Amino acid sequence: MPARTREQTIVLTMEFLNFLIILWAAWLVWRRPERERLAFRLLVISCLLMAFLFFIGSHGSLIPGVNL
Amino acid sequence: MALSEDRLRAVLAWVVIVLVGGPVAGAVLLGVAHGDSPCILCWAERTSMVLIALCGLFVIRYGPRPRYLGVTVLLGVWGVYMSLRHSALHLARDVGQGFSAAIFGVHTYVWALVIHVTVLAVIGALLLLLRQIAPAEGVHAPSRAGRFAMGLFIVVVAANALQAFASTGPPPFFGQGDPVRLSLNPRHWVWSFEELEPYYVSLRGSWTIPTPDPGAVDPDPGHGPLAGLPSIAVSGWERIGVPLNGALSGVARDSATGRFLAVTDHYGVYLLDSTLARVLHHVVLDPGFSVDLTPLIGAAFVGGDTLAVLSTNKSYALLTPVPHADDRLEWRHFLETDGQVSEVGLGRFQTVRAHQMYVLSLAFDPAAQELITVSVPNPRHHQLVVSRFARRDLTLSSEFGPQLAPDLAPAGPSRTPAEYVVTGAVVADGRLYAISAAYSTLLVVDLKDRKLQAAYAVPGLARPVGLAARGAQLLVAQADGRIAVLARPTP
Repeated sequence: MPARTREQTIVLTMEFLNFLIILWAAWLVWRRPERERLAFRLLVISCLLMAFLFFIGSHGSLIPGVNL
Repeated sequence: MALSEDRLRAVLAWVVIVLVGGPVAGAVLLGVAHGDSPCILCWAERTSMVLIALCGLFVIRYGPRPRYLGVTVLLGVWGVYMSLRHSALHLARDVGQGFSAAIFGVHTYVWALVIHVTVLAVIGALLLLLRQIAPAEGVHAPSRAGRFAMGLFIVVVAANALQAFASTGPPPFFGQGDPVRLSLNPRHWVWSFEELEPYYVSLRGSWTIPTPDPGAVDPDPGHGPLAGLPSIAVSGWERIGVPLNGALSGVARDSATGRFLAVTDHYGVYLLDSTLARVLHHVVLDPGFSVDLTPLIGAAFVGGDTLAVLSTNKSYALLTPVPHADDRLEWRHFLETDGQVSEVGLGRFQTVRAHQMYVLSLAFDPAAQELITVSVPNPRHHQLVVSRFARRDLTLSSEFGPQLAPDLAPAGPSRTPAEYVVTGAVVADGRLYAISAAYSTLLVVDLKDRKLQAAYAVPGLARPVGLAARGAQLLVAQADGRIAVLARPTP
């Protein structure tokens, strides 16, 4: 396993964790509907996480690599 | 037809079932059955679909509150962006080429675009049909379909989580740009940080190519990348004796008639007589219609009466003098014309090695019947590429980076001929002569051996923009309209 840099330590996020957050939110919606506020916050966190992971994956350029 | 809120929730339950049971569950099945493993961008697109389905569950449970609809629309728009950004990596490749396996002939990143566009269309249709958006507060008991959607969602997302664990690993690992096939054997699992190295944010990435500025280069031959070059003195000066509509940016000479072809940075094209004192024909090209012409930088006589002019982005126009041009037809091509020039072609040269590099020169090899360009370096692509295009179909026929002849030596370990900025070129006696604005150097390339045969310092030049041959002479045109006369070396 490669040594972890400071930047990598900050990014303690990934796809598996994101699916766990989504599962948590769905479980709240289904079985604990009174926790709507928490479930919605988890939804928003998951959205941000997904967007952030996409940014990491597309770090070469944010705009599609074509002529604009 | 109008949708009540109860009907909306029922419809959404089926939308969630279709979305989760279709592409999201299908992706996991493809992984298990065929080893398909998403890349980091695919993971984000699949997650976006899952989150859209989750928004549907929120509506099923709590009604169509504005924030759910807002998040869903944002996810749809974001999904379209992601899939466009992702597809752009592969869409322009050759026929049949793509990344990973295709599903029904379409690759997953394109399916992601289709699905997100469909989601936006479905949201729009449902909102159009919804009677009102004033949901009652509180929690709604889901219908049978709603309960099935929730159960299916939990099962499918759990399966995705397991696949993500095997494919990308636990925190802090995350997806890979070039994943390996999915395996249930932990020995084959690859958990990596590869997408973090190097990490930088760029708007255009490798497409961030500044337009070339030959006026900003170092003209001192003594600072060039090749050591100990002999000098060629300017033996005389001539000048273009007619007013042009801008700074001179390229020149060519027709060896058969002695006529000159000159282009300007304001899209002016001038056919001049052999004394450079009389305009035979002139036009000003319309750079916006229809091929986008960046500033003109090169000109060539390409056989018969055909004239070729080239812009920095390798887009070209072919012109020919005619006794009486059709006014109505040529109006669309020219901003100005003397009425005796017709446009016979407009297009773009495609290069491979010189891809994402601008050019500042154009030459024509009459023996090979090929047009020639020489790339100029930029911060992302540091090489000197000679590209040859067949006159017959104006398509790339060969490209090469000239090798140094044994008697040419770099001025330092990191110096290469790629530092030259060729702004003018001409073919004579089987050799490509190229003048570089950077370090005011004349390069001689043997087109047969593909070697940089010789190089000469040419002191005294200021902004050379074109090169032409006249017998045993070379004519170096400058942006100010003056032309330096040199003895043409034959190494």
